[in-house]
Parts: sequence; structure tokens; C-alpha cells
Amino acid sequence: MLSNAIRRVPRVFSVARRAMSTVEESSSMSLNFNLPHESIYSDAKVAQVIVPGVAGEYGVTADHVPVVAQMKAGVLQILHEGVAEPEKYFVAGGFSITHPNSVTDISCPEAVRLDDIDSAAVTSAFEEAKSKFSNAESGSVAQAEAQIDMDVNRSMGAALGLTLV
Amino acid sequence: MALRLTAKRVCATLPKVMGQAVAARGMATEKQIFNQIQSTKNISKITSSMKMVSAAKLKGDEQRLSLADAFNKWTTPLTGEPVLLEGATYDELPQKTLIVPMTSDKGLCGGINSFITRGTRDIVAKVTADGKECDVVVVGDKGRGQMKRLLAGKIIRSATEVQSPGSFTLASALSSELIAAGAMNYDAVMIVYNSFVNAAVYEQKYKLIKPYVIEGEEESMLEYEFEPDTKSEVMVDLYEYLLTSQIFHSFMDAAASEQSSRMTAMENASKNAGELIDSLTLKYNRARQARITTELIEIISGAAALED
Repeated sequence: MLSNAIRRVPRVFSVARRAMSTVEESSSMSLNFNLPHESIYSDAKVAQVIVPGVAGEYGVTADHVPVVAQMKAGVLQILHEGVAEPEKYFVAGGFSITHPNSVTDISCPEAVRLDDIDSAAVTSAFEEAKSKFSNAESGSVAQAEAQIDMDVNRSMGAALGLTLV
Repeated sequence: MALRLTAKRVCATLPKVMGQAVAARGMATEKQIFNQIQSTKNISKITSSMKMVSAAKLKGDEQRLSLADAFNKWTTPLTGEPVLLEGATYDELPQKTLIVPMTSDKGLCGGINSFITRGTRDIVAKVTADGKECDVVVVGDKGRGQMKRLLAGKIIRSATEVQSPGSFTLASALSSELIAAGAMNYDAVMIVYNSFVNAAVYEQKYKLIKPYVIEGEEESMLEYEFEPDTKSEVMVDLYEYLLTSQIFHSFMDAAASEQSSRMTAMENASKNAGELIDSLTLKYNRARQARITTELIEIISGAAALED
């Protein structure tokens, strides 16, 4: 009985797969991750990408439903096949579009590797933004800019494991 | 003997008279030709150094263009490939179009700006003939100067002193300006620009960017889910980001074309200057030899007259 169930399961899987992807059965997705001044990944085969969407983080694997997502300033994680540790980038916003053919385009104006961020610089930038925020007139452009600075630095700090208030 | 004397005097005076006549006309005296040669040599030095500077800048621009190509690839499934201006019918243009031609601020760059101006003029003529509307936002001082006469009524904005080659920040500033000018009220934004093929060739292309239809029969991007769920808001932001990305790519393409065109133009100018210097040098030598011959004849005829 158990052996029957086991034999049946793979067939169900392959039928479902065929329903979702009509062209080919790909176990990995193709990632295009580009900045204006640098092309980080172009047609790279990866296992999974975790995208920091405005509404929340979500993961994209092969044969994912097509999605257009606006990204917030946060951490983008790329999981390569066979590698346990994800590659982390801090992105400053942008868009992630997953197409029906398992190709994901991620485009941002700016992104840096998490290892390249200096936590001391982040802390001092946050403090500077905080003081600018309190000194600026309520409701002015300067205050809004300072608020944005604070938010971005706070999320950069959170990505590095610092809690900035 | 009298005949010999008259003949000698005629021979003596003729060259002098001729020389004076030439000097009076003021065209080809030796000194003037010499000055002409010197100034042409100076010009050829300038043009050849400009050519070398352009060649060096072209390398950097080509690299930036290849990065911009990779960056802009995500827009291709959404807006399609750019279309060549040559042989285009412009039938697919919608009712109201905003045309954004990209030209340069500096001159001495060959024909890039003239091609864009001519192309824009043809587009406007075709659009008006079809009973559709269009407006123009010119980028670049040279284009503005050329189009001011032809399309004065159509130009609603112009952007000059754009630092070539431009950066993503500049592209986003320009796209927010376009949106402030009401880009979303048009049925399409059409970017007309020069596209770099190689160091000797560039082509004129245009990109058509249509704003997204939020709902109704022609709702765009039906097969995609949107995150966050407010599709209309995301579409507005996506449109602005798309426009910025396309403008950025066109900036890089136009900058590379400008440098290659300037390099070719300066090379031709240096070659022409070199040919001019050669022909002027021949003329100079002939003038110098004529002068020496005249002086010799004067001396000899003077001596002969004394002898007699």
C-alpha cells in the first residue's frame, strides 16, 4: 500500500510540473540582476532568490507565478545551487519582474554587497540623519529627505545586525 | 639695335609690372601664402588632437553603453525593441505623442544633430498629416537651435547643458521632468536618438513607451501578479522607472555615437587640412621661385643696361 502511494506521487508531481511550464522542465531559474553601472548577474542559473518587496519578503524559485514587485530598501538574497549560504546584497529599491518562463529581471539604481558595508559608517550616517530630522521644519522637504536617510540607514543597520533607533 | 634695346627693356619691366599687378590684387604674395600655411597647420594640430581625445573618450563610452545595454534588457519584454528611423512609416504612433529627440550640446561632431532634426521633422510632418497630435521636448543645445525654426510651436520644453555622457541620476531627473510636463497624459513617449553600431557607423532609432492602462479591456500586464496589491500605484511607479531606464540607455547610446561621429569628423578635417597644406606649399614654392627669378632678371638687366 505504502509502496503504491510512493509510486503514485512522482507521477502527480510531473503532471503538475508539466501543467505549469509548457516549454521545458527547468529545475533552476535564470536571474538577471543589473545596475546602471554594473551587471552583477546576466542569465545566471540560481536556485532561489528572496526579494525584499514593499509588501514583504518573498522567495522566487523556478516556475514561479509571474510577479511584478516593487522593492523597498532591504536585503536581496541569492541562493546558488548546492551552496547553503545565500549571497546577500543591500538594494536601494527598484523592481523585480518574474516572467512566465522562469526568468527574473531585477533592476535597481544601486546595490551593494552586504560585506562591503561599513557598520561604523552606517551608524554615523544614521545619527547625522536623525539630527537633521529633528532640526528640520515639520513637513518640509528637508525633513522628508532626512526621514528617508534614517529609514535607509536603519534597514542597512538591520541587515548588518545593528538595531538603530 | 634699337629693337634689341626695346626688347631688353620690355623683358626687364614685364616681370616687375606683373609682380606689381599680382601684389596689387593682393591674392598670392609669398608672405600671405606663408601665413595661410601656418594657420592651416595650427588648425590641423587642433583637429588631430580633438580626434585623439574623442577616440579615448569613445572607449569609456562604449564600456558604459554595454553596461547600460545589460541594465536596460529588462524593458525589452515590456516595450519591445527600438525601431530604425530609416524606412519607418510611423503608422503605429498613437493619437497624442510626446517626442523627445536627443542631441548634443557641443559642436564639431559631424552630422548627428542634423540627422536627428531631420528625423524629428519627418515624424512631426507624418503625424500632422495623419491627423494626430504631437509635442516635442528637445534635449541638447544644438537640437534646440536647429528645431527652433522648424517646429517652434511644438516645443514645450528643452533641456540644455546636459552633461555628457550622463548618469542614472540625470536620467531620473529628466524623466521626472517629463512626467511633470504631463508625460502620462500622452498616449506614448517617443525617444529619438542616435544608436552606436561601431566606431564608424551610427544609426537613428526611436523607442515608443506607452503608459500602462490601469483597467478596462486593454488592461496591461494581465498575466502578472502585483506586489503590493495596489496594481495602479505599482504601475505608475513602474512606468516612471521604465522611462528612466530607457532614457538612461538612450543617453549612453547617444553619447557613444556623438564621440564616434566627432572622431570621424576630426579625422576628415585633419586629412583635408593636410591636403590643403600640401597644395599651399606648392603654391608658396612657385611664388618664391617667381620672386627669385624676378630679382635675378632685374639684376641682370640692370647690369646689361649699365654695360650698354
